[in-house]
Amino acid sequence: MMWKVGIVGAGNIAQIHGQCWSDLPVRLQGWFDVVPAAALRAAQTWGGAIFDSLEDLLADCDIVDICTSVQHHRDVVWAAADRGKAIVCEKPLARTVADCEEIVAYCKNAEVRLFVAHVVRFFPQFVAARETLLSGQLGKPATIRTVRAFGFPGGGHHEAAQPYGDLPRSGGVVLDVAIHDIDYQRWCLGEVERVFARGLWDAGIPQTDHALIVLRFASGAIGHIEASWAHKQGLSRTHLEIAGTQGIVEWDSRDKDPLEMATVGTGGVRKLTPYPGQDHPWHAELSHFVQCLESGEPFRVSPVDGLMAVKIAEAALHSIRTGRPVHMAKFRR
Amino acid sequence: MTTVRIGLCSLAHDHAFSYLKCLQRIPDVEVAGVWDAEPGVLERVARQFDVSIHTDLKSLLIRDLDGVIICSTNAHHRQHVEMAAPHVPCILCEKPIATTESDGLAMLEICQRTDARLQIAFPVRFAPAIVEAKRILDQGDLGVVYSAACTNQGSMPGGWFVNAALSGGGAVMDHTVHVIDLLRWFWDTEVTEVYAEIGQSLLHPGLGIDDTGLLSFQLANGIYGTLDTSWSRPPGYRIWGNVTLDIVGAEGVLAVDAFGQALTLTSEDTGRTHMQPWGASPDLGLIQDFVDMIRSGREPSISGYDGMQALRVALAAYQSARTNLPVSLPPCPRKRKED
Repeated sequence: MMWKVGIVGAGNIAQIHGQCWSDLPVRLQGWFDVVPAAALRAAQTWGGAIFDSLEDLLADCDIVDICTSVQHHRDVVWAAADRGKAIVCEKPLARTVADCEEIVAYCKNAEVRLFVAHVVRFFPQFVAARETLLSGQLGKPATIRTVRAFGFPGGGHHEAAQPYGDLPRSGGVVLDVAIHDIDYQRWCLGEVERVFARGLWDAGIPQTDHALIVLRFASGAIGHIEASWAHKQGLSRTHLEIAGTQGIVEWDSRDKDPLEMATVGTGGVRKLTPYPGQDHPWHAELSHFVQCLESGEPFRVSPVDGLMAVKIAEAALHSIRTGRPVHMAKFRR
Repeated sequence: MTTVRIGLCSLAHDHAFSYLKCLQRIPDVEVAGVWDAEPGVLERVARQFDVSIHTDLKSLLIRDLDGVIICSTNAHHRQHVEMAAPHVPCILCEKPIATTESDGLAMLEICQRTDARLQIAFPVRFAPAIVEAKRILDQGDLGVVYSAACTNQGSMPGGWFVNAALSGGGAVMDHTVHVIDLLRWFWDTEVTEVYAEIGQSLLHPGLGIDDTGLLSFQLANGIYGTLDTSWSRPPGYRIWGNVTLDIVGAEGVLAVDAFGQALTLTSEDTGRTHMQPWGASPDLGLIQDFVDMIRSGREPSISGYDGMQALRVALAAYQSARTNLPVSLPPCPRKRKED
């Protein structure tokens, strides 16, 4: 049987999903977006039809891929679950812990499968570092440090930046960017006991956000996250370091790439490392989703993983706001 | 030029050997003698360097020295500064200044009373990348600065460094003060609040002292940051450790790797690949600065007060880790010698 995929929301991340779905052995049925022009552009680029309503899209697919802005995740998940669809939901699962809890419970009751698209779990460098850790070569892990630093999304003035620019509503860089690191670090080191953070979330600086987050894991290990929307265009950086009793593993996007090119007139060095096939993080993520649907195996990211990442991110925002550490066992929001 | 006579008090800290080499490279500087409590260590230094050795510290201190460099264990700094201050006009003391606030204050007091000028050994201030970073920041190239994510990660030093009675603490005591000193110097500011997560024997099971530390701090000028002090570099790592600062501002970002100027060296001598520094040496910069202070009669560029303020942050970090709460640092009246 050929899975029929419908994509809800045709913004930035949906373009990458559209490309990957079109490479996978599924049928891309089409798109729905509250901005019809966005759905049209996506359909013209990646194929599939344009649906006039969410209901029409749901009536014509088996898999619903939710790429809307985070505020709409809950309503779209519920509608998809009501129709018994298999669901891919972009991260963060929802804006609030309460919404996440409702989503998780609703999908469980409806007996539909829900995959939260925490794509960092599919980046080959990050997968390899975790496998190194699990192989025992690092001994017992003691510290984990990650950096995810970009410019403000949407180029600062683009229409797409508007939902992000409303930091209280969007949750800013903590909910959108640090959530990747929170999920990855938790995937590597287990549950988080305590969170302390400083950042610009409530600093009121337009088109700017940044956070430095300290995590204490139940195992005793210590985590650090730098998440930035203050790095301006062209200054992005991703970094990973895990140190344990027996060794250390590191990766940095500033290091030399396996393929780099500089040409006359363009200036600077372009990193051109290819991510063929299963190395392509989004391809790997959606391919994994389909495989798990077919085999019945659990997803690499469970609904509760999606919920916990939001809960820890909310704790970080609470810490930024109050200046106090948050003990996860006592954190109710 | 008259010869500057400098004595070396204790070789407990490995930096002593580096400082000796630096002293020998500076013209018109004489190593007037070396004291250490361990006769074996003295014999070793006598074999390696052409210096006179002393088994009695007092006998060295009264030899009409222009300056003395104190490289004893952290817990002995106070005793040695108190012995030196009445006899020697200029003192360079290894970091951290002391292991307790009261010891540090006593050192400041004796130096004030005896008119001895006390400098603290923060050589990282003399790393070329740091000097240039300071210039860039002074120039305002980053615009309003928001944050500084910093590391001073290193290898586990062993020896007395892991004996709390002599060191005053592990990784947090060892590696908080360098970076905090840089931040205070960059922006002429103070740390107002510290939160810390600290791990005992996390990286080195059975070590019996903190070897993992992550500080989150607020500066008085509005900049916030973090500092990783962990001894997380295993034996065989390509370099002993690092001092890095990733600074984010409204107009740009600045990534500083103070010890990043190094060749990659692979040798069958060591059986591994490691980093070999090139260019200006921070230790030499520090010692030249100390000699310049002796010659010119000026105040130290890194004062005992600077040493105290950095120590207070390390002590506050330990307090925070005990309580799991942020610790406020009271704004201290600036007690510089010239005031």
